[in-house]
Amino acid sequence: MYILSAIAVAFVAYAIYKHYKLWHIGKADDRSKNIAKRVWAFIITGLADGLGHRRFLKEPYPGIMHLLIFWGCLVLLLAAAVDATTHYLNIHLEGNIYLWFSFIVDISGILVLIGVFIAIYRRYVQKPDRLNTILDDGIILSLIAVVIITGYIIEGLRIAVTELEIHPEWAVWSPGGYVFAKAFAGLDENSSLILHRWLWWFHAILVDAAIIYVALSYSKLQHIIISPLNAFFRNTGPVGVPAPINIETAETLGVGEIKDFTWKQLLDLDACTNCGRCQDACPAYLSEKPLSPRKLTQDLKAQWLKTSQFKAGDSGGQPPLVGGAVTEDEFWACTTCAACQEACPVFLEHIVKILDLRRNVVMMQSKMPENVQLMLRNMQSRGHPWVGAQSLRLRGDWTTGLELKTLAENSNVDMLLWVGCTGALCDRNVEVTLSLVKVLKAAGIDFGILGEEEPCCGDPARRAGYEIQFQTTAEQNIAMLNGYNVKHILATCPHCYNSFKNEYPQFGGNFKVTHHTELISDLIKQGKLRITKELDLATTYHDPCYLGRYNKIYSAPRDILHAIPGLKLDEMNRSKSKSLCCGGGGIHMWFEQPIGKKINDIRTDDVLDTTAKTVTTSCPYCLQMLEEGILHKQMQEALKAKDVVELLEQVIEQPS
Amino acid sequence: MHIIVCVKQIPDPEVPPAKFKIDPATKKVVPPPGVPPVISVFDERACELACRLKEKHNAKITVITMGPGKVSDVVKHALAMGGDDGVILQDQAFENSDSFGTAYILSQAIKKIGSYDLILCGRQAADWDTGQVGSILAEILGIPAITIAKDIQPEGDKLRVFRVMEDGYEVVETPIPCLVTVSNEVGLPRLPSGMGIIQAARKQIPVWTAQDIQVDPAKIGPAGAHTEVINLFIPVRETTCEIITADTAAEAAIKLAEKLREIKVI
Repeated sequence: MYILSAIAVAFVAYAIYKHYKLWHIGKADDRSKNIAKRVWAFIITGLADGLGHRRFLKEPYPGIMHLLIFWGCLVLLLAAAVDATTHYLNIHLEGNIYLWFSFIVDISGILVLIGVFIAIYRRYVQKPDRLNTILDDGIILSLIAVVIITGYIIEGLRIAVTELEIHPEWAVWSPGGYVFAKAFAGLDENSSLILHRWLWWFHAILVDAAIIYVALSYSKLQHIIISPLNAFFRNTGPVGVPAPINIETAETLGVGEIKDFTWKQLLDLDACTNCGRCQDACPAYLSEKPLSPRKLTQDLKAQWLKTSQFKAGDSGGQPPLVGGAVTEDEFWACTTCAACQEACPVFLEHIVKILDLRRNVVMMQSKMPENVQLMLRNMQSRGHPWVGAQSLRLRGDWTTGLELKTLAENSNVDMLLWVGCTGALCDRNVEVTLSLVKVLKAAGIDFGILGEEEPCCGDPARRAGYEIQFQTTAEQNIAMLNGYNVKHILATCPHCYNSFKNEYPQFGGNFKVTHHTELISDLIKQGKLRITKELDLATTYHDPCYLGRYNKIYSAPRDILHAIPGLKLDEMNRSKSKSLCCGGGGIHMWFEQPIGKKINDIRTDDVLDTTAKTVTTSCPYCLQMLEEGILHKQMQEALKAKDVVELLEQVIEQPS
Repeated sequence: MHIIVCVKQIPDPEVPPAKFKIDPATKKVVPPPGVPPVISVFDERACELACRLKEKHNAKITVITMGPGKVSDVVKHALAMGGDDGVILQDQAFENSDSFGTAYILSQAIKKIGSYDLILCGRQAADWDTGQVGSILAEILGIPAITIAKDIQPEGDKLRVFRVMEDGYEVVETPIPCLVTVSNEVGLPRLPSGMGIIQAARKQIPVWTAQDIQVDPAKIGPAGAHTEVINLFIPVRETTCEIITADTAAEAAIKLAEKLREIKVI
């Protein structure tokens, strides 16, 4: 018995050591800073997402399945610990306490069995698309079931001999064992004892074998240890922010082979349990693009294990990463919407890995889809990502006749209105910018603009993996903004907003950043906008990814809509943190993969499932994408797309 | 092989003409504010062709530009694409040189650089579109000039140049050293790689003045100009739209055809 335990402990220790070594073939990534914050975040997550199953229960069926197995096993484990402790301390649980203890433990086992059978039914009968069933799944489900059932048989044999005749009223407190006790009731005591002993050893060795199997293979049950570890080391900062590159010292850029990942990214791969929640949430997968975050992670994981086994001098060379384990189409399909990361129960960070893969092909090999190259060339030569009709406009054109202050004329203003390339150059988005200016003027906000001088924030370059352009842009912009002594930026585009708020601090740019929906909802609350008209309109709200999942701004735009008298807000099934991307994120505004369906068509269907006659949003990309989706469906008569601020502008009193 | 590429910085040619202004006093174009200057599109293709030759035939690329202001950006761009060295020619005396003056200044700089096998220029600058500097430069240097090329293939100690024609291309064989002007048929220039940008950023680009390259003041600037700008104006473009209506599409098509014949389009 002790030998068995020692063997199990040794194998687990060896496995942890082996994994530790494997994670550290990756690059350094300092996650030891701010350890108190990390520990606190881990405790909260441990309670809410671990014990409380918050993330799992977003989907009731697999959520309850995991909950039953998790809590059942946890109680059984605690019970074993209690058993061992009381045994060594020579304490005997007696009377009602023992009966309750026995009852709870027995019920836990039954819950685990129910969980396992739900899992078996789901995996082998229902077979949902996202589950990629391999041999390991069958092995571990069988192991759990056999361990629990043999446990009950052993208990049943004991009860048959010790309780059934003498204390039958006790026996029912162990319902699982009781069933088997009844079955063995006819057996003579000696046979029962022999059978009990054999089965006990079988049970013990099976548990040991299971532990050794999990330790030596790359079974997903390893997640019991690795997933909490991954949750502990997870990114506690803003979502999807890649690390800057060091222009002075960089020798290679992005991820071209496995060892270019950081150790934390490799731990990520190790922690993936192949559950497929990310795949179900992924707009690229839903629109039949070649990307599944689940498959990408698993493929990278397989590549990582293959690479780690590769030795210098092996024939055939190192297996290729891009073009081998993953294809370029896969990582270009990502819209960086963060739905995968929101869905992942073990806190994987898919986006930065995908950006790292893009960085390598773009910056080391100059390989990218033609339209991505065109967009980047425009950013380089023209300072904005737009081509075509937009090049007929210049950045300052939208200000004509508005008598706005530019910072060059007077930088002594409360805030800078940062319009963004799209809001300044694309006709439809300029309308939104003009609405916003009217609202700001009505509220008496003291703001300035950069006008012709306003550059691009750099976000599209960063999402394209052309980090060098982003960094140069960010550094120049920070110098310019500091030159004008800008303290507060009001951004209309969630992508600019996210860059200023979460990414510019990497380069020493620290500004107060507000999105126009945040400011306006505050202005309404403070009574600075007089809402005098009604709008009899059914609407729904589409959450932009970079406002919602990236920055957790869900209520401000809705508060604005609720403040409009007569307006009815009918939410889509996928909304707030579960919102589906419009299809325009991750530079997909400028390039389209002609594969599968269009994401904005799928999102427009979501809108059409509501009673809304107008779909509102608060991002220039989303607005364009939704309008295009509406056109595709030929619903332009029945359904309009508007920015929240456009609706508000219609109901406020304009100063005369 | 040593390739010298001549590049020019120009106002972004994608900006619509109506946004430009003309200064009648100096007869100069005033680009709209907020529009950054770019490398001339044909020159960028010359860089692309040079980079392709370098990849295949192990060449060294020197990029040379002349112009006022912050022209280092276009040289850095060309270096980031794959160029090895850069040279900037900048001097007040160079200003207002015409094609002859410019070609002469370039020729003096190239003489200072020394040996070379191939000089590449854009077929014309995308701002003034004169397309003269390349040919005049070759004339001054006394080397063959082949214009409007879309590809170059080394053949022993000669070069085969694929020259764009209206209905195809012709292949010209030339000894080296020679000068080739490059057309847009070369294809889309590469986006500078991240590593390329990093390496270009670390490079120092020397600035040569009139004194450094020993130019004859009589041959440059307004004094050396062979041409004179008499008038500079933005052409007025008028468009009118007429919608042809009919009951059926077939009828409308007939009416459209008649109209087109009437105005002698078909």
